[in-house]
Amino acid sequence: MRVRTRTWFSLVVAVSALFIIASQFSVFDPLDNAVLIVAEPIEVGLRDASQPLADFVNNATNAGQLSDENQLLRQEVERLTSENARLQASESALNELKQLQSIRAPKQGDAFLEASVFARDPSNSKDMIAIDVGNSDSVKEGMVVLTRQGSLIGTITKVLDDSAWVTLMTDPSSAVGALIQESRVQGVVAGSLDGDLTMEFVSETADVKEGDLVLTSGVGGRYPQDELIGQVVGVEKAAQDLFQSVRIKPLADLSRLEGVLVQTGFEPREAN
Amino acid sequence: MAVGIGLVAVTFAALVQVSVMPSFSLFGVQPNFLIVLLAAWVSIRYRREAFVLIPAGGLVLGLLDAEPLGLAMLALTPLIFLAEIREMRLVESDLLPAVILVALATLSYEITILLTLAIEGEHLNMWTSMLDVLVPAVMANVLLLLPVYGVVRLASWDMRQQRAF
Repeated sequence: MRVRTRTWFSLVVAVSALFIIASQFSVFDPLDNAVLIVAEPIEVGLRDASQPLADFVNNATNAGQLSDENQLLRQEVERLTSENARLQASESALNELKQLQSIRAPKQGDAFLEASVFARDPSNSKDMIAIDVGNSDSVKEGMVVLTRQGSLIGTITKVLDDSAWVTLMTDPSSAVGALIQESRVQGVVAGSLDGDLTMEFVSETADVKEGDLVLTSGVGGRYPQDELIGQVVGVEKAAQDLFQSVRIKPLADLSRLEGVLVQTGFEPREAN
Repeated sequence: MAVGIGLVAVTFAALVQVSVMPSFSLFGVQPNFLIVLLAAWVSIRYRREAFVLIPAGGLVLGLLDAEPLGLAMLALTPLIFLAEIREMRLVESDLLPAVILVALATLSYEITILLTLAIEGEHLNMWTSMLDVLVPAVMANVLLLLPVYGVVRLASWDMRQQRAF
């Protein structure tokens, strides 16, 4: 190996390490922000221009499925399911209120900010999207992000002046306190490397079946209560396990997000 | 001149990577256009160009992605050594080394990102990481290499022709 190559390699590694350390102190945030402002219209243009090709390739690989129609139907199903879930949640809350004969404070977090998705993290091990609102729009870390139809997408994890990064609930680092709407069984919905969602810590005796809706439980204070997460698509029980594994399908197609809502009215509790 | 064209190409590739590639899914993962372009460039062109384009590509991608600046650059640095090995011309073909380069560069990139997840405290199963991320990513990038390699080869031939005149 030539000395010049070794020297160059060492130099690049050293500079990279220096940049990574400096990034921990937000030194490059203004530069990041400026680059993203310039890149955003180009990225949106490139994405829009390539969409027909992407649709063609995706339709060809999923023979028989008409992508646009499917997308519209999914959005409609999602909207109706979300509405239904909210109504059921309201009804259940109302019944509880009647039983308790007390007045509960109005639900927080009903203020939303609309945002567009313009980029996605290139790594296959992380699931993050960039949106075009940031500090200047009063967006803060921890705020919850929903689809336009109202189901949960993830949370804001990095905020720049004019943009922000959202960690999707399918990301391996994501964990959301959740419950099954029908049985009120609680658990934690976790993301994974393959992009699947699993509800963990569900007692093996709990009554969970395919088609059940999964909502946020609000436990821990990092997510508001009763936001729609998805639908149960599979339940696995092993005789020797204390918990059953519940597979969840998000109602929204998280691979094709364009417009999202940031729930600005909800202030998450600080994680310990 | 070639380095200038290369810089424009890697910037474009990084932009395509964060905006266009997420719409395409091969084997359940998104192919990495930047890695593929750099590997094709390293296989076909000269080492001195690779020395500039590899860190530049990492820097541009770092400015566009969600990771700390420098991580993408660090993840791509092994390509510098691979460029040196490529220059030894152990085989006549350019395509075979390009395939090997893409596979190794993909592994280096994805393993670096997985390591950062592990450092952040995520419990990662090695077997799952291999089946869900590493193997599909290598396969997807090798498939993407075929058209990219053809374009870089043509462009390289054109650049050499221009220099000859």
